[in-house]
Amino acid sequence: MYNPEDKTDGLLPPMAAEGIHAGFPSPAQDYMNPCIDLNKELVRHPAATFYGRVVGDSMIDAGVEEGDILVIDRSIEASEGDMCVCFVDGEFTLKYISFRDPSPGAGNARKDDGRLWLVPANDSYPVITVTDASSFTVWGVVTYIIKKSYRK
Amino acid sequence: MYALVDCNNFFVSCERVFRPQLEGKAVVVLSNNDGCVVARSNESKAMGIKMGTPFYQVKDMVKAGRLIACSSNYTLYGDLSSRVMSILADTVPKIEIYSIDEAFLCMDGIPPDRIREICAGLVKRVRKWVGIPVSIGIAPTKTLAKIASHFAKRYPGYKGVCQIDDDEKRLKALSLTPVREVWGIGRRLAVKMEDCGIRTALDYVGRPPEWVKEHFMLHGMKTWMELNGRVSVEEERPEKRKSICTSRSFAEMIADRAELASRVADFAAKCAAKLREEGSAAQQVTVFLYTNRFRNDLPQYFPTVSIRLPVAANSTQEILSSALKGLDLIYRPEYLYKKAGVMVEDLVDADAVQLPIFDYDLGLRHRRDRISEVMDRLNSSGHNVVRLAAQRTGDYTDVVRSGFRSRRYSTSLDDIIEVK
Repeated sequence: MYNPEDKTDGLLPPMAAEGIHAGFPSPAQDYMNPCIDLNKELVRHPAATFYGRVVGDSMIDAGVEEGDILVIDRSIEASEGDMCVCFVDGEFTLKYISFRDPSPGAGNARKDDGRLWLVPANDSYPVITVTDASSFTVWGVVTYIIKKSYRK
Repeated sequence: MYALVDCNNFFVSCERVFRPQLEGKAVVVLSNNDGCVVARSNESKAMGIKMGTPFYQVKDMVKAGRLIACSSNYTLYGDLSSRVMSILADTVPKIEIYSIDEAFLCMDGIPPDRIREICAGLVKRVRKWVGIPVSIGIAPTKTLAKIASHFAKRYPGYKGVCQIDDDEKRLKALSLTPVREVWGIGRRLAVKMEDCGIRTALDYVGRPPEWVKEHFMLHGMKTWMELNGRVSVEEERPEKRKSICTSRSFAEMIADRAELASRVADFAAKCAAKLREEGSAAQQVTVFLYTNRFRNDLPQYFPTVSIRLPVAANSTQEILSSALKGLDLIYRPEYLYKKAGVMVEDLVDADAVQLPIFDYDLGLRHRRDRISEVMDRLNSSGHNVVRLAAQRTGDYTDVVRSGFRSRRYSTSLDDIIEVK
């Protein structure tokens, strides 16, 4: 039964007790900080940040597994080698983005013909070549991957 | 200078952010209970679907695959709206949020030659960051800014930004704007103007001010001045609301008193939580019931009752018990009810509540306030985890019919997009 007079609920962040103190103030008083706020650490642009959940294993060699949560920042302009959430052929896909043709013998120069490549981190998946920009969008750049390691 | 930022086909655009496959398709968003069309994509506008069209009239197109219908997902729209507004607020010194998809930016203090560039940047940024296309109209008054935004939206050549900054452009824009499309001119006023031979906004500003004052009073005069480039619509101050209303139509008609009471209890609890959220307390609680007015074959009854509170209150217990008292006064078992609602009125600042001097249990009030506070915290996930025994179990929102609702992609971890 909840007792409304009970003031200890344990849900508030740790704060230096300010009340009325007689005697010597706590020396820890000046060193109190609010607790670590992961929202602040992991989300640089709150207005542009969305989340996604990984399905499948196309990025398994990058350590990204089914069920992981992606922190996706839409404000970032995707550049070479960024892990991106893209929209291709009617679905969202997670891949490294590349402006250089990764096929053997293609050279390492950046292509400026509008083509780009979506590179998986799993040998059993093909590289996707994007030629038609109209049916493709980079939806956002993945900034963090959140993974649950505890098995219960 | 003002800039009016208007999100294009906002609800449809929200759906498209998380379902890009809807891009280029005819899409409509339906009202609560999937009643009628409340938002249309350009493609569905081109098919001739009008705002407010009842859903059953377009059902066949949906079945045939020519039209995609979405139930409204206000959680999603609200979240994307606040993202858009926060980007606007970060860019200019002052914004006035006018509705879920519109805001006025006050450009005072920004060099005039930079305004257009800033607005063009905002169009790009909101599109990229949130995924929502917006149109911006820039002009010396709010009424003209609104007209400019229509042009920005209608003609792709503007790339989303249209500025009315000299008389030639102003008169041209006014000549192309039917008077009924002018902000502040309602349907009745427009009919009266058309009867006087005024068809366009230009016709209206061409009339002498004495004539306008005589026929359309102060309100018409303000619009006339605004269209002439003189600011006359004051700033909308974010005043505290005077009342808060929570009401819903039921998917099925309800006759049972106990069932109705649990719905009314939910609405009352929701009102109380909103009061606390904005630091208000109510002095009056009103309860109303509607029978189904579209069923001419059934007896009709639309009762309302208001209960004064001895002391302004915002605890769930006090608001809820008054609402149930009200329900008992108006409930008649012989009717089938389609809708119910609770309104809390005569709001005052919760910190400035006048307490009576005698016979008042302040301790009881404090305990109630503590309980409400704990309920708010536990219910802050958006679900009614903790409720009073009189309320219904489960989320009360499930009384709303929404056969095609998309997920809460941006506010619920269980609903986020899947990425392969």
